Amino acid sequence: MQRRHLLQAAAGAAAAAAAAPGFTKPARAADFAAAVATQPLLRPFQGVTDSSGDRDGAALIRGLWPEALRGRFYRNGPALYERAGERYHHWFDGDGMVQQFTLDGRGVQHRGRLVRTAKLQLEQKAGRFLMSALGTSIEGGPPGGGPDAFNVANTNALEHAGRVLALWEGGSAYGLNPADLSTQGPVTWRADLQQVPFSAHPKVDASGHLWNFGSSGAAVVAWHVDPQGQLVKVQVGESPYPGGMVHDMAVTPRYLVLPLPPVSLDFAKAVPEGPRHFAMKPGEPLRVLVVEKDDISRRRVFELPPEMVFHVGNAHETSDGRIVLSYIGAPDAWFLDRAAVALMSARAQPLGQVSLRTVTLDMKSGRATQQSLATEVEFPRMDPRRIGLPARWLVMGASWRATPGRSYALLHGVQMVDTQSGHTRRFDYGDHVVVEEHIVVPKPGKTGELDAWLLGTTYDARRQATVLNLLDAAHVEDGPIAQAVLPYMLPLGFHGNFTAA
Amino acid sequence: MKILSLAAAALLSAATAQAQSPAGCVQVEVHNVRPQQGQLMVAAYGDAESFGKTPLARMRVAAGEAVTTFELCDLSGSAVALTMFQDLDSDGKMNKNLLGMPTEPWGSSGTPGSMGPSWETGRVALDGKPIVVKLSQ
Repeated sequence: MQRRHLLQAAAGAAAAAAAAPGFTKPARAADFAAAVATQPLLRPFQGVTDSSGDRDGAALIRGLWPEALRGRFYRNGPALYERAGERYHHWFDGDGMVQQFTLDGRGVQHRGRLVRTAKLQLEQKAGRFLMSALGTSIEGGPPGGGPDAFNVANTNALEHAGRVLALWEGGSAYGLNPADLSTQGPVTWRADLQQVPFSAHPKVDASGHLWNFGSSGAAVVAWHVDPQGQLVKVQVGESPYPGGMVHDMAVTPRYLVLPLPPVSLDFAKAVPEGPRHFAMKPGEPLRVLVVEKDDISRRRVFELPPEMVFHVGNAHETSDGRIVLSYIGAPDAWFLDRAAVALMSARAQPLGQVSLRTVTLDMKSGRATQQSLATEVEFPRMDPRRIGLPARWLVMGASWRATPGRSYALLHGVQMVDTQSGHTRRFDYGDHVVVEEHIVVPKPGKTGELDAWLLGTTYDARRQATVLNLLDAAHVEDGPIAQAVLPYMLPLGFHGNFTAA
Repeated sequence: MKILSLAAAALLSAATAQAQSPAGCVQVEVHNVRPQQGQLMVAAYGDAESFGKTPLARMRVAAGEAVTTFELCDLSGSAVALTMFQDLDSDGKMNKNLLGMPTEPWGSSGTPGSMGPSWETGRVALDGKPIVVKLSQ
């Protein structure tokens, strides 16, 4: 028996979401139920059960859905938060549920399925939580054999090469059948790639090539999958900030661009009671790791003023050897540490001071310059045909006004930002609505950046229903041109993608 | 089903514990075994200095049911730490991925934490009672 291997396993597991010993906490399910009465917008955080996590329904159509818009829109997010009276502390902990909206030119059909991960199956059988999660220590379960023992597959969903990938940051993608959303199991690509992290934010370029990264301890993994779903290449390099969190990545024709905020996910530390805490390490910069796609040992690390980063907007190269990267930055780990915890107990909290920034990275001199654009925004998305190329517009969820009693961590509008001028155009869905990520869907046969629709979900607290919204990217301020109202609410989720039929 | 098998195993181990194991031997009860796949590779250590280096005893046991029990001998002292993995493909070694993480189930006596087994977390009293090991999920 080689201890080194066990340690490596354990380190990997820890990097994912792991099993630090903790202590039994008081159940908080009843606390949420009591608090949500005064926070109706937070009702979707009740989550689903093993039985209510599978949903099929036809949407009520309002407005005119364009006949040319045909395909499947997938979303993913944490959904199952409670077992046996125990409730997770952190939004990111919940077991993933993939939503599929099928648009056939006339109507919208919804299908939602919990991802049948190894963890979910184990806990369903036991009738209680057994494995620790990102923000919640769980005692009494078996040792985790690796990251996938904790994999909740809850962060993003993407149909690529004929299968749906349910994605999580710390472990393998889970494959689902697009025809019925049944779970096929972890996608391992190759025998020696089992349990190797495949992040939740791959980028698919205009030619259909998928690029992704994974982060585990001191290792950074770079993945390249071709349009047919075959693994082209996997490379392992050294992280400039070992053990740090890496959530998202931008691509350019030549480079992978990874922001590494100074936040460690230290799961080895016991959590005696309550949620696990996260903080930026004082004195450490925001690092941006730029590696060449062909050989990630050829790289440059930029150091920027300290910031927390989850999401990138885009990156592109300039003719004079610079990279322009857009991302959402925050001065601290407030959202990860506090807001995402408060939501789970139906407490109102600010979103935190988040801003859209662009940074120009000079690959020759190593210098970087920063610019701030819009504030109080999240979930940046863009024209998928321009990933890695110069693009003018980013679309984001936004929160720009305070409403008494409303948790400001909830977005109420959708906003487009002109990254050239800094001007914004936006639509306010109203006080009774929570806005989720909106994506850009190009209109068939058109090439202009604004020749596109915006497609995104909202939670309507008056109807207690999830609504799929369609806006014209050229007229975002007019609001939805069509809506599909589900006969039920879905848990508030994270990210999604559209596949044209 | 699992409850039934656990109960059966508990009864079995209780019966064997009462059956007076020979000196230096102990009953080992392994949970989460992938049934009938390969073999269990077991090592037993007697103290912190020898942990992970020089075992008191080594053993290979064919993987049986989800709860597999066997007798491990040649032990001495008042405490012992067991480490093991399930060699699913019977190649005699623990398979690992590109990053060095094991891809076969592993386990330890005691309460192995997130940093893997150690003498401190793995040690249990050698007092004739069966030793329980949960393999990783």
